Amino acid sequence: MKRILTLATIVWLEMVRRKELYVLLILLAALLAGLLSVDVFGLSGITGYAKDVGLLGVWLLSWILAVNISVRQLPQEAQRGTLFSLLAMPVSRLTLILGKWLGAWSGVGFALICFYLTLLAGVWLKGGGFDANTLVQAILLHGGALAVVCALGIALSTRLNRDAALVTAYLTTGSAFLLMPRIPAMLAGTRGLESISLFGAYYLLPHFELFDLRRRLIHDWGRVGWFLIGEILLYAFLMTVVFLTLAWLGYRKRRFSRGDVL
Amino acid sequence: MNPAIDIQGVSVSFPSRQGTVHALQDLSLTVEPGIVYGFLGPNGAGKTTTIHILLGFQESIRGSARLFGVPVTESIARDRIGYLSENPEAYDFLTGREWLTMAGRLFDLTSGEVKSRIETVLSETGMLAAADRRIASYSRGMRQRICLAQALINDPDLLILDEPTGGLDPIGRRDIRRLIANRKKAGKTVFFSSHELSEVELVCDRIAILAKGHLLAEGVIADLVPRGESLERYFINTVAP
Repeated sequence: MKRILTLATIVWLEMVRRKELYVLLILLAALLAGLLSVDVFGLSGITGYAKDVGLLGVWLLSWILAVNISVRQLPQEAQRGTLFSLLAMPVSRLTLILGKWLGAWSGVGFALICFYLTLLAGVWLKGGGFDANTLVQAILLHGGALAVVCALGIALSTRLNRDAALVTAYLTTGSAFLLMPRIPAMLAGTRGLESISLFGAYYLLPHFELFDLRRRLIHDWGRVGWFLIGEILLYAFLMTVVFLTLAWLGYRKRRFSRGDVL
Repeated sequence: MNPAIDIQGVSVSFPSRQGTVHALQDLSLTVEPGIVYGFLGPNGAGKTTTIHILLGFQESIRGSARLFGVPVTESIARDRIGYLSENPEAYDFLTGREWLTMAGRLFDLTSGEVKSRIETVLSETGMLAAADRRIASYSRGMRQRICLAQALINDPDLLILDEPTGGLDPIGRRDIRRLIANRKKAGKTVFFSSHELSEVELVCDRIAILAKGHLLAEGVIADLVPRGESLERYFINTVAP
């Protein structure tokens, strides 16, 4: 565990010293400031639109951060040559994968809390607020979704180069988020191979829509049962384990040579 | 006592556009503990490939390779070794001290051990003054030194150096020679790959010469090199007769 935590700390330090989090926070704050200053049709007292756009911003920024950070971890170790120093120490490849995932996820998780706090401050300044229980549930589920995104990003980067892994991760997670809820309706009008592919995608890709409580937060519908939250988090845990296992299978026998450094 | 390095019948091939490249062919090599061992060969001889096998970077090989009796495929085999690569690199965003702390933790040293070892290796490599600067600001020679310090952080029983004097000035080379001599005095093993035959002649107890993946010669320098002949002449005659 000490080795996994050490590797995770490196990911954290890099994220902080590269100032990625600050850039995204400034972007979110700018977005919120823009929303707060808008007073079209005398709607300045209504906070729903600020919540809606702000939550969308939080989801987009955390998604971008999670994909970028997770996908670059393993390829950049090989590219800059530090991989050889790491693997020459008693660090197994599984430890390396787990350390990188934990670092990416916890770093993005910390950023997520900062994003929500910024949003909360923005909405509060506008005179609105969120139901505390629903907000905690939303953050927990959002964190669960990001754990899956980070694991998927790392799994892709074990076999693809950084750019290819980045594009594939964006396409996979983006289409999973947008397409999944529509698949049952689409299945009704399809047959044969098309139907089989949609059916396969429905069961193979992660269901990110399960983690999205934005509607509840915006319209103050109240919290969901905690048992259901537990079930969804268990689903996130299982998906994360599946992707990290795939990452390990793709990485455990991978041969590294001087060419990887150049 | 188990040999520090024990390689038996190792062969490695890579697919390439020109066909299969045989990087190593039936290589057998034993390095006893407590000696300085020079591993020589022209470019493309298979020296770095051999070192990569010892470090477990290449798991799909024929034959067996062990460090102190432990198969190289097990990460615990690397508990007692230190490694300096031919292109030493460290995290630019860390300071030298942070990089060494991270390495100490990865070797599972306690906080007290990490602190005391850091001071020792920084002074051994002459990096005390620059330890709290970001690695991004280091020169090539300083990077080489901080990576050498990292290779020494666990006080390894076997130090593997791949072309260690490559980026160093004459003072740096002298320091490396001193460091190798000190390791030997402490009863540690040094496995040393180099093109610098004069360096090898000065520090090594035994040498092996490799070319095109084959082991051509192995033994004590005084036994291998005829009287009155330099190691360089012997090397050239062996590799390109």
